[in-house]
Amino acid sequence: MNRIASRRGLMLGAVLAGVSFLSVAAASAGDVTVWVWDPNFNGAAMKEAASRYAAINPEANIIVDDTASQDDIRAKLQTQLLAGSTDGLPDIVLIQDDVAQKYLQSFPGAFEPLSDTIDMSAFAEYKVAAATLDGKSYSLPFDSGVTGLFYRADYFEEAGFTAEDLNNITWDRLIEIGTEVKAKTGHLLLDLDLADSGLIRMMMQQSGAWYFNEDGSLNIVDNAPLKKALETYAKFYQADLVKPVSGWAEYTGAFTSGEVASVPVGVWITGTIKANADQSGLWAVAPIPRLDIEGSVNASNQGGSSWYVLASSDNKEEAVDFLKTVWGSDVDFYQKILVDQGAVGSLLAAREGEAYKATDEFFGGAPVWQDFSTWLSQIPSVDYGIFTAEVDSAVQAQLPTIIDGGDLDAALQAIHDQAQQQMQ
Amino acid sequence: MTDTSLPAAANATSAAKIRSGAPANPLALIRRALVYLLLSIAAFVSVFPFFWMIVGATNKSADIIRGKNGFGTELFNNAATFFTQVDALRVFWNSAFIAVVGTALTLVISSLAGYGFEMFRSRVRERLFALLLLLLSIPFAALMVPLFVMFSQAKLVNTYTAVILPTVASIFIIFYFRQATKAFPSELRDAAKIDGLKEWQIFFFVYMPVMRSTYAAATIIIFMANWNNYLWPLIVLQTAENKTITLIVSALTSAYTPDYGMTLFATVLATLPTLIIFFLLQRRFVEGMLGAVK
Amino acid sequence: MAQARLDRREQLTGWAFIAPALILLGLFMIYPIIWSLWMSFQVGKGMNLSFGGLANIERLTKDPVFLRALGNTFTFFIIQVPIMIVLALLFAVALNDSTLRFRGLFRTAIFLPCVTSLIAYSTIFKSMFATDGIINQGLMALHIIGSPIAWFSDPFWAKVVIILAITWRWTGYNMIFYLAALQNVDRSIYEAARIDGVPAWARFTHITIPMLKPVILFTTVISTIGTLQLFDEVYNFTAGTGGPSDSTLTLSLYIYNLTFKFMPSFGYSATVSWVIVVLVGILSFLQFLVARDRRRP
Repeated sequence: MNRIASRRGLMLGAVLAGVSFLSVAAASAGDVTVWVWDPNFNGAAMKEAASRYAAINPEANIIVDDTASQDDIRAKLQTQLLAGSTDGLPDIVLIQDDVAQKYLQSFPGAFEPLSDTIDMSAFAEYKVAAATLDGKSYSLPFDSGVTGLFYRADYFEEAGFTAEDLNNITWDRLIEIGTEVKAKTGHLLLDLDLADSGLIRMMMQQSGAWYFNEDGSLNIVDNAPLKKALETYAKFYQADLVKPVSGWAEYTGAFTSGEVASVPVGVWITGTIKANADQSGLWAVAPIPRLDIEGSVNASNQGGSSWYVLASSDNKEEAVDFLKTVWGSDVDFYQKILVDQGAVGSLLAAREGEAYKATDEFFGGAPVWQDFSTWLSQIPSVDYGIFTAEVDSAVQAQLPTIIDGGDLDAALQAIHDQAQQQMQ
Repeated sequence: MTDTSLPAAANATSAAKIRSGAPANPLALIRRALVYLLLSIAAFVSVFPFFWMIVGATNKSADIIRGKNGFGTELFNNAATFFTQVDALRVFWNSAFIAVVGTALTLVISSLAGYGFEMFRSRVRERLFALLLLLLSIPFAALMVPLFVMFSQAKLVNTYTAVILPTVASIFIIFYFRQATKAFPSELRDAAKIDGLKEWQIFFFVYMPVMRSTYAAATIIIFMANWNNYLWPLIVLQTAENKTITLIVSALTSAYTPDYGMTLFATVLATLPTLIIFFLLQRRFVEGMLGAVK
Repeated sequence: MAQARLDRREQLTGWAFIAPALILLGLFMIYPIIWSLWMSFQVGKGMNLSFGGLANIERLTKDPVFLRALGNTFTFFIIQVPIMIVLALLFAVALNDSTLRFRGLFRTAIFLPCVTSLIAYSTIFKSMFATDGIINQGLMALHIIGSPIAWFSDPFWAKVVIILAITWRWTGYNMIFYLAALQNVDRSIYEAARIDGVPAWARFTHITIPMLKPVILFTTVISTIGTLQLFDEVYNFTAGTGGPSDSTLTLSLYIYNLTFKFMPSFGYSATVSWVIVVLVGILSFLQFLVARDRRRP
């Protein structure tokens, strides 16, 4: 019996050895692997950067992996950092600014500080601040999430509104305008997803606030901008201007199909909107409306991400040199990715380039990039803290009650209680 | 417990003989019509989403967003976009390799255990079995971090081995085979013993062929699970050239500018292999399940 | 089947047969489980962990999100499992009639949903249940509703869609088990009952149901485990948020969020996992207890 058992063991061993043998070997030394999450946006920009670096440095081999979604990348990164295992990690990874501090603070030493070798003053200040911990900055800032109100000029025009009518207005005024647009054209103002609180964060940041105090403690119950943001959010629903959607596909579908009249969002949406070439000339961009409170400005941020070098990388020097050479100084490169991908970079010098001064026929011949650059410089800098995901989920839990006209103070208290509990 | 090795058809034929007279009275006719109606609705609801997926794959993204409800002419364009964006051969090879090797290993190892638990009962093994059933309920997300640590220490991250190994001993499949083994006629085993066959020979040369319909059913279930496996391959496979079709299609759906027509074409493609396996094996499927539940 | 005591040789053979599976399970299941049990006594974030005793259990009782997830999971369990099992039984009984035409076609069609790939199924369901989706269009064409339902923006309807989706996917699967078991039932019992004038409904409750009891138990246990672990549907349908307003957040999704989305709190997420184990343990024990009594002659 034992003999048989061991023979089977041998067989099994042989099979397993075969399986291992067939597996593909990891990337060879000298290659720099980069994780990105959208083949047409940050993936394409990174590939362009890689080819520019290859032109200068033919030895280099930058491998861009665009086969995972952002959620997937977060899950992979977090598992491996938690497991304390680094051999599955890439050399460079793209991380969205508002979750960066979570990784920096809960996994000290996992990322390479870049401020020693790269001059951070060349980049937009609020982008650098998002990746700074204890005086060191850990990222090479990539795209800005500077926001704008993208709208269908044809619908607004039909209702009698010009670009000037939308210039530097408040959200409340937008609701009034939207009501008329709906009455005259039948188009709802915008689409919202109750499982995504991006608009509320956008409203908070334009008012210089976030979910936290300076010491990292929760700032919810007495957070006037947050309260005003929730109130405004509810007004959209109460004025019956919202098409309810769920998930990214339906969200983008509502405005790319021409169903809703506008979308307040980060500039990275440009590519998605321009993908519908038949709508060229019908779109325009206005400054993001502000909250009707003291200190709120017509500029904000949504999303936006930056490149981080893993400290465990075997090719750290090469990775840092690559970022420094292309992403840190090639102004022409930034013109190229602006035109091709609609990616608004954070390198200040790039703003002086040709492409940034050009007008765009798709947006009615307006100098949209110049506008975005102007707004970019006005974005209030806020500290995203490390618990944004937790508080977001607490905010989302209250949204259905809030849009039904529920008591805001009670909702804020509930958000506080849940978030407090989650922040243990 | 009744012997289930008899083909179900035998029962069906005798029943058909008895009931050969068609239902005559109006009440029975109405009842019959209701049964057809119920089943037709159920069949329609079951099949409709598949039909819808194929319709979507023939339309272009913008039309799908605008809610177009009919066949389009974009099938080849969607296919072209998919094949230029995705290294389809590579990705299908990865999925097929993982699913086929994983299924084969699971069939052998889990059926051995199912057979062992049922044929050689002892108090210790019964307790162990009960414990395993309880462990079936642990959510996988809870095991992922320690599993990852193990595979990373074994230098197996980003290999097929790491994807396949944790799925090979499946408690559910062991349970399934154990239940099926109850229907294995003990006379066959006794006869084989008298002929001088050893236990492992009985298993491989008598049990396996006799239980082939159970294996067919298990093949469908395991293949499906392997093909659709998402969470663990996502974490453990790192480079693009190792990823499975399930991972790739999932990433396609979350691009900034999703191309629905192409994505739906990809989902049709990703569903085909499991459908083919199902149609190849389905004749034996009902018989296979038959053993499991006794 | 009564078994004589095994001799030493047979004992060893028994172990040999289960050894490969046991070794693999030990490595890839038991060891991580013990690790997670140990973790459930740890508190802290990321990699900075320390022993916290029962602190995680205490946190559990005060966590509104956990209580919501537990409530949702039980709602899915209590509503979805019975609906699915009753439907599966109905279809199985209907298809078991040998005079029925197109049986193979019906059976294949109803079974088809469970072989579909998860990604395909969630993509399709999301598009069908979109505000402008085919479901709303259909319901409006039939004048069942006046204006489109925003399925995933309403806590109630979002739950309904999840229940519909799971039922769609798994009813055929359960049906096959019943169908298989029904074909084992000796048809002469039915014929005798028919000739004695027993009505169809009584035949169903007094013959079919008792005959199928062991199978119903089996499918109930499997469905219980499946529902308490519910993750795939809610993760894919709601982009991982369990929204709106946590209305579709399940225990498994909460564990996922605690581990991968939130500030990693591994000890706490391990504790939540153990809640599922304890729940399934209790439920399965009850179900098996019921079954054992019934099997006694």
